[in-house]
Amino acid sequence: MQVTIEWYIALSTILFTIGALGVLVRRNAIIIFMSVELMLNSANLLLVAFAQQLADAHGQVLVFFVMTVAAAEVAIGLALIVVIFRTKNTIDIGEINLLKG
Amino acid sequence: MNAFGLAPLLLILPIIGVLFNGIVGRYFLDADRSTGEKWSGWFGTAMAVGTFIVSVLIFFSLGANDHHAEIVHLFNWFNIPSGNFTIPWAMQLDTLSSVMTLVVTGVGSLIHIYAIGYMHGDRDFHRFFTYLNLFLFFMLILVTGSSYLMLFVGWEGVGLCSFLLIGFWFDKPKGEGILNGDAARKAFVANRVGDFAMILGMILTFWAFGSMEYEVVFESALDLYTTTETVFIAGIEFTIPQVLTGITVLFLIGATGKSAQIPLFMWLPDAMAGPTPVSALIHAATMVTSGIYLIVRSNVLFEIVRDSGHQLFGIVSAPDLVAIAGAVTAVYAGLVAFTQFDIKKVLAYSTVSQLGFMIAAVGMGAYVAGMFHLVTHAFFKALLFMASGSVIHGMEHGHHHLHEHSHGDDHEEDDFDPQDMRFMGGLREKMPVTFWVYIIGSLALAGIFPFAGFWSKDEILAHSAYGLGVGEATPVFTFVRWMLTIGAFCTAFYMTRQIKMTFFGEGRHEAVKHVPESSPLMTRPLAFLAFLSLMGGALNIPYLTGGGGEEASTPVGMTASVLAAEEDKGLNLAFEHWLEHSIQAFTLEEDFENVVGPNGEHFFTHVPHTPTSLQYDIAISSTLIAVAAILIGWYVVFRVWPRSKEDPDPISQWPVVGFVWTFFQGLPLDTLYMTGIVKNIFNPLARFSDVVDWNFWHNFVHNNLIRDSFVALADFLATVLDPKGVDGIVNGVGQTARNLAEALRRPQTGNTGNYALSLFLGVALLVAFFVFAS
Amino acid sequence: MTNSIVLTLLMSLPLVGVVVILFLPVFNNQTDFNIKFVANATAIITLLFSIAILPLYDMGVPTLQLEDTGSWIDALGVTYHVGVDGLSILMILLTTFISAVAIGSSWNGIDKQVKQYYIFMLLLETGMLGVFLAQDLFLFYIFWEFTLVPMYFLIGIWGGKERVYASIKFFLYTMAGSLLMLIAILYVGIQAGTFNLPELIANRELYAGAQQWLFWGFAIAFAIKVPVFPFHSWLPDAHTQAPTAGSIVLAGVLLKMGTYGFMRFNLPMFPEASTNAAPIMATLAIIGIIYGAIVSFAQTDVKKLVAYSSISHLGFVMLGIFSLNEIGIQGAILQGVNHGLSTGALFFLVGVIYEQRHTREISEFGGLWRAMPVFAVTSLIVTLSSMGLPGLNGFVGEFSILLASTGSDALGDSPWIYTAFATSGVILAAIYLLKMYQGVFMGPLDNPKNQALRDMNRGELAIMLSFLLFIVWIGIAPSIWFASMDATVADLIQNVVMMAGG
Repeated sequence: MQVTIEWYIALSTILFTIGALGVLVRRNAIIIFMSVELMLNSANLLLVAFAQQLADAHGQVLVFFVMTVAAAEVAIGLALIVVIFRTKNTIDIGEINLLKG
Repeated sequence: MNAFGLAPLLLILPIIGVLFNGIVGRYFLDADRSTGEKWSGWFGTAMAVGTFIVSVLIFFSLGANDHHAEIVHLFNWFNIPSGNFTIPWAMQLDTLSSVMTLVVTGVGSLIHIYAIGYMHGDRDFHRFFTYLNLFLFFMLILVTGSSYLMLFVGWEGVGLCSFLLIGFWFDKPKGEGILNGDAARKAFVANRVGDFAMILGMILTFWAFGSMEYEVVFESALDLYTTTETVFIAGIEFTIPQVLTGITVLFLIGATGKSAQIPLFMWLPDAMAGPTPVSALIHAATMVTSGIYLIVRSNVLFEIVRDSGHQLFGIVSAPDLVAIAGAVTAVYAGLVAFTQFDIKKVLAYSTVSQLGFMIAAVGMGAYVAGMFHLVTHAFFKALLFMASGSVIHGMEHGHHHLHEHSHGDDHEEDDFDPQDMRFMGGLREKMPVTFWVYIIGSLALAGIFPFAGFWSKDEILAHSAYGLGVGEATPVFTFVRWMLTIGAFCTAFYMTRQIKMTFFGEGRHEAVKHVPESSPLMTRPLAFLAFLSLMGGALNIPYLTGGGGEEASTPVGMTASVLAAEEDKGLNLAFEHWLEHSIQAFTLEEDFENVVGPNGEHFFTHVPHTPTSLQYDIAISSTLIAVAAILIGWYVVFRVWPRSKEDPDPISQWPVVGFVWTFFQGLPLDTLYMTGIVKNIFNPLARFSDVVDWNFWHNFVHNNLIRDSFVALADFLATVLDPKGVDGIVNGVGQTARNLAEALRRPQTGNTGNYALSLFLGVALLVAFFVFAS
Repeated sequence: MTNSIVLTLLMSLPLVGVVVILFLPVFNNQTDFNIKFVANATAIITLLFSIAILPLYDMGVPTLQLEDTGSWIDALGVTYHVGVDGLSILMILLTTFISAVAIGSSWNGIDKQVKQYYIFMLLLETGMLGVFLAQDLFLFYIFWEFTLVPMYFLIGIWGGKERVYASIKFFLYTMAGSLLMLIAILYVGIQAGTFNLPELIANRELYAGAQQWLFWGFAIAFAIKVPVFPFHSWLPDAHTQAPTAGSIVLAGVLLKMGTYGFMRFNLPMFPEASTNAAPIMATLAIIGIIYGAIVSFAQTDVKKLVAYSSISHLGFVMLGIFSLNEIGIQGAILQGVNHGLSTGALFFLVGVIYEQRHTREISEFGGLWRAMPVFAVTSLIVTLSSMGLPGLNGFVGEFSILLASTGSDALGDSPWIYTAFATSGVILAAIYLLKMYQGVFMGPLDNPKNQALRDMNRGELAIMLSFLLFIVWIGIAPSIWFASMDATVADLIQNVVMMAGG
């Protein structure tokens, strides 16, 4: 069976939707965080797929950048979560509304 | 081989002494009192004796050097090349400075030895010797400096030492320490008033002659004078006599401060608060004579003024002013002296009076006579002070002894004063050595033949009588003569009174019974000085033969060249022959003998010098006056003087004399200064200035006018103008923004979910837009 | 012209110390030893560095040396230009010396916000060095104002009871004067198209028309700083309220910035106006001498007494400057150094007893000689130096100035009248200083609080000895000190006389 580009698009769309829903629905910051990762990686997947399709290495290279940024984001994000937990004793984002105007 | 190279030792040795006693003296004393005293005292003394040895070597070197002055250049002090202002540290070793160094170090050494005995047991023993050596250092700078500025270093330095030593016992109980401090301060300030004039005089000297070094100044002064050139000071033209009148009068004021003359003499009696060796060294023998030294040193300047006949404000010429100041002081202080009861104050006023003799002498151009009296006075006045110290020391011991052996008894402890002559009497038997040296010193001071004072005082009187050098006695000279004669009478009178009150009669206080003779450390220097007081006149004995009365009636000055040509000098006039090499008026006269001025006058046709032979009329009359004074004094004392402190002063009841007595006892000039000027003018002025500066300028102008009006303005703006006017507009703008912001605030829930949702919705909208739009 | 980096380096050294101190941790329970150590080390290294560059300085050259230039704001003609000559070389040394001493003297006295304190002290040092080194009016003005800030905080935070009042007064008073100067600077700079001082002096004719006004613009700013009577009212407050080190720096260096300004800017830039103003300035100087001395006598607070004596002493400096001759200016510069040493030392000494007794009233003391002999002797020498005893530094400067004023061509027909009045300051100095000395050290030691006083410790003695070294050195061998400025001053006077005369 030939795995065409449509398959990749479909998988990527599903993953992105799961991630998006997770971000919107879940209240646990860690989960939200994981969901964000999921969304990033769905995009990555699509990038790689199209790069292959179009025989253009730019997409592949861009993925590496995204992964690096994602790694940095994880580091900072987790650190923030730890700090928030220390001060608020919770990582429920419903409880965290300091930006309220 | 000469010893001029050793001259820096004159300054180095005392400084070593200062450093030794100043830095380690305290440790020596603390470690072991008696060894410490030995180290402190003898080390300081060794330095003094060392300088004396150097002085003697220089003395002989000068002899071997044909009496030529030698200048030892040390290093530059002031040096401003672009301003042509250079003053070196240099020592001028000539016969004049040699005389001064010998007196200073010789008498100084004796007083150092004496002080070891006198200061025994004082808790600040080392400090005392530090000061003494420091004084020696500055005094030697003063007399050996080669410029006016170096002289001034010593001049101020000795003033400082005088301050330190007068205030030496600054923490005596019962307020005495504070009084000592006041006396010290008074001395320093009075000296500074003189120094004020000195500074101006030096500045004038510099701008007139481009230097402050003696040799340059004297030479160019004479040069300019003989060529009648003028000088420009800051663009204004002055003739040489004008400038020199200014300079000499300023120097005179300086001298009155240092040498305690009217009008600046009133610090010296107070200075007796210091330890007695100090009174002997500084306030009798050396420091106070530096005013005389200054004038003798500047003899060329004074003689030019005399020669030119230029008068200050057209009234009196500068040298005459000097003579008058000296003569008036001699009488004034002599009169005050016989109203005093404090043994040292009598001597203090006597010193002022004798300094007046010297100043009068140098004012008349009798430089040698003045210096001669300076030297002999150093001998006998130091002797008298040290002997009085011995008496005071004895009285303190006696009182102490009394106190120790009479516990529980009530003595009149409180008003006992070891210096008050009313408590003394009959000390002749208790202190025989002190008594005899006192007698010798007093006779020398009174001018009785053949003691030292006779010869020197006679020279001065002879000068005033015959106007030697000037050719004839001017009215000023005659005035000086009669004043000095009265002064001489007073001298003999108060000394007789003092001796009788101290040594004769009955002891007027229990303490007298327990008075011991002082230790040999104190009496030996006394004996030595007594010898000098007896023989000091030999320095400058005039010719006793050779015309005598005949010459006396028509004294004709021998010119310096004649004196120099004289083969057989012998001992006669040795001092004059020695000094004539330094008193430039002599030597310059030789150089300028043939210079004729524009009006045909000869410069320096007169040469100030001592009478070559004894003036018998003067000698005999002054001796008679002194003897009369002694006899009257002897008769009067105990008949009219109170025997104890409680007795009233019978003499104050006498018709005319009583008024004079009361007047002088109250120290009118001193009162005038301390109450009139200090208390009534200066202190209120200072307080007033403070009020002006603080209350008016600081508080009123700055705090009230400037700050408070600013604050008021600010208040007005802040409470009235601003809120109603400016603020209304500003607030309106602010309020609008605020309302707007309030509305925009609501969507900001702070809930991340909400934000994320709106994000997604936004993206979805955008996507939908692009999809359907295309 | 070759650029030399040493002066820039010298100015930056204290900043290095500031940066190091910024990163030092403050331990709660420990002393602030590390901060103090770094601050002291910085100050001493700066001092040593300023001494080490002396061989590079050629005393025979009248013009600026060791210059460092760079472009800064080209559009306005503002440049970075530092350099040193005979007018400033001694001021540089005085600054590094006084700063080191002031920082050293604060070891025990400062007990709060130690870190900030030392940062301000070091910033102040950089600022003062900048004032003396800057050869560009714009740069100079920046440094001039910059010194106010650390001093404001030093007085305002670590001062006495009235510290806030004093610090604000100090700041505003000085600032007000500076603004006039700023206007003058801008006018000059815009007229000439440059702020570079040597160029401005060379192109004097571009702004010569307004020089009477410009002179006073500068003069008032400097006169307030000196302070010249009647602009002195901030000084007693600032001095009495400032911490010991603040007073030392204030008297030692900050006041000299005013007198230095007259010599650096007013004389060469506005020679005719300076010559015209000389009698007025000299008269104010003399009023200051006498007035300062008399008011000083009435004081009961030692520090205030010394503060007023500064007005008197600075009067001598002003008289020297406006004598407008070689001896006068050199005397004035040296007297500035002397005043820094003597008055700095006096403030230090006051600090030593204030630390123990927390009072400065003369009546509280008496007989201290018994309790603290070493302290008494060093105080005596410093006091004597302050009253101008020959053989110590004060006399050398004072006498040069008095001498110069009599020979001055700028002071009208009878310049000796100025001399006579100024010389009376010598008598008055003896009167008020001896009053203080007698009150504090003489008399019986009967106050039990004073009996417990300790004498100077080793650190204090070391600082005092460093003061005394210079006091005696300048006193007996000032030749080298005069030589360091002779060429520059001769050049300056030649220019002034030439311009004013021709």
